[in-house]
Amino acid sequence: MKRCIVIGQPNVGKTMFVLQFALYLGLAEARIAFAEAGGRRWEKAYRVDHALADLTGAGPHHTRQLQSIRLDLPVGKGRRALELVDTSGLVDGIHPDAAIRRAMAQTLATVRDAHLILHVLDAAAAGRRGALAGIGEVDYQVAQFAQMRGGYLLLANKMDLPDAPRGLARIRQELAGHPIAPISALHRQGFHEVKAFVWRHL
Amino acid sequence: MAGPGPNPRTVDDVLAWLSAGRISSGEALVLFQRLETRAAPPAPAGDGEADGERQRRLEAVMAELDALIGLAPVKELVRELAALVEIQRRRAAAGLSTEPMALHMVFTGNPGTGKTTVARLLARLFHGLGVLPREHLVECERADLVGENIGHTAQRTREQIRKALGGVLFVDEAYALARGGEKDFGKEAIDTLVKAMEDHKDEFIVILAGYRDEMEQFLSVNPGLRSRFPIHMDFPDYTPEELYQIALRLCQERQYRLSPAAGLRLKRFLAEEAQASPYAGNARLVRNLIERAVRRQAVRLARRRHVSRGDLMTLEASDVLEAAHQLGTRHRPDHRVAVLHPGKPWAAGAGVARG
Repeated sequence: MKRCIVIGQPNVGKTMFVLQFALYLGLAEARIAFAEAGGRRWEKAYRVDHALADLTGAGPHHTRQLQSIRLDLPVGKGRRALELVDTSGLVDGIHPDAAIRRAMAQTLATVRDAHLILHVLDAAAAGRRGALAGIGEVDYQVAQFAQMRGGYLLLANKMDLPDAPRGLARIRQELAGHPIAPISALHRQGFHEVKAFVWRHL
Repeated sequence: MAGPGPNPRTVDDVLAWLSAGRISSGEALVLFQRLETRAAPPAPAGDGEADGERQRRLEAVMAELDALIGLAPVKELVRELAALVEIQRRRAAAGLSTEPMALHMVFTGNPGTGKTTVARLLARLFHGLGVLPREHLVECERADLVGENIGHTAQRTREQIRKALGGVLFVDEAYALARGGEKDFGKEAIDTLVKAMEDHKDEFIVILAGYRDEMEQFLSVNPGLRSRFPIHMDFPDYTPEELYQIALRLCQERQYRLSPAAGLRLKRFLAEEAQASPYAGNARLVRNLIERAVRRQAVRLARRRHVSRGDLMTLEASDVLEAAHQLGTRHRPDHRVAVLHPGKPWAAGAGVARG
């Protein structure tokens, strides 16, 4: 089974992307496996639209544990299993909350043996005038780290927002050399390219 | 970013520091890269002396393998396996994902093409690589595995497996296990073996050996087996020239040498055999021949009063000729048929072999 990990800063829409992408691939119900940094694991069957309501929110650090969905995808004549892993956000600097730091450590541990890395950026935040936000130090580090391995795609999310096109241009400039797919996770736009990318690496 | 800074030994260090708030996640990623590029291939863990000893043994095995005559594809495959095992071990040490390795094998080839020899070397090789805790090889065949009554077979097979645990179980002429069809106890032996391979994963390696066609047939009627024995080594027949080299080696090991005339005689014999018999590409033939020639030489010299050191070492053409004469008909599997048809000694046998 291939493991596809979704990472990025807090509140860029990782969970939203994972669930909407699952819906886009035709998954109405999912068993979501949760794994806490502390080692506790549990599973819960969700309707994906309910999961959206439960698991996403407007503020940062909503996701504190790994949440993974197993997808069984038709590839060519056969089927391939893909584990889509949603992670808690990576912040720049040292976060004061130990629980969040542990969650980040857990995320990075997963990054190392993922087959595919989808790196989500908030294009709208990146496009906001005068803002340094949007692309953080950690994003450069992730990009640099992922460069050494295949199966890396940048997702410029929130393209439905007004500042996003400018943000996308900035991302293209700052993180030149990496493949970038503009998407709107909320509206399931731009998913075609993401799907093609994932299929290529299955 | 590579400059001075914390120097982690493993990924776990980095993660622990990140959790403890010593470094940021960005720094953690930088350290990951450093671990992957630079610190990744550290000397394999283990206490120095035992490791050096292991390394020496490993080199000795590889040297022995190289010294074998012919067998180029087999050597190449063994080399690949050794490299793969070594790299998997280092990957594991570097915290990278590793493929689970199934090292069970099928050896195909005619008798006397080096299957058992290579299997013994592999047992030592895998022991040297740390895959197997012991370096012994248990050789068995149908008669050792299959019993006469129900339940007896499983017991006998388990007995052999127990002996082999930690090393290699070499099942010679394994196709014979499928000989009797569905009701035969051979099937039970196969099932027991497969079960043990799962129960004692990574504790021993099974090698099934046999003739090419028969093994092919055997694997095709037991489809589950093919995937459980992912490694397939084919042992080609030796060419007459390779057989000659083997003969020279055998002489050398015994401190004998062939006189020039004996060498020529041997070459001619090997070439003729290759023409005549499908089983001639066979090191056992050469071994038997040299052993017989040694005896002929002994008989010849025993009659003489004065024998020099050189005489004691030299096999003459007459020794080889007499040995070849004895073997010429005998080494064939169906020599009785050949004797019954002295006019064309091989024709009858060839008909049987191909029919």
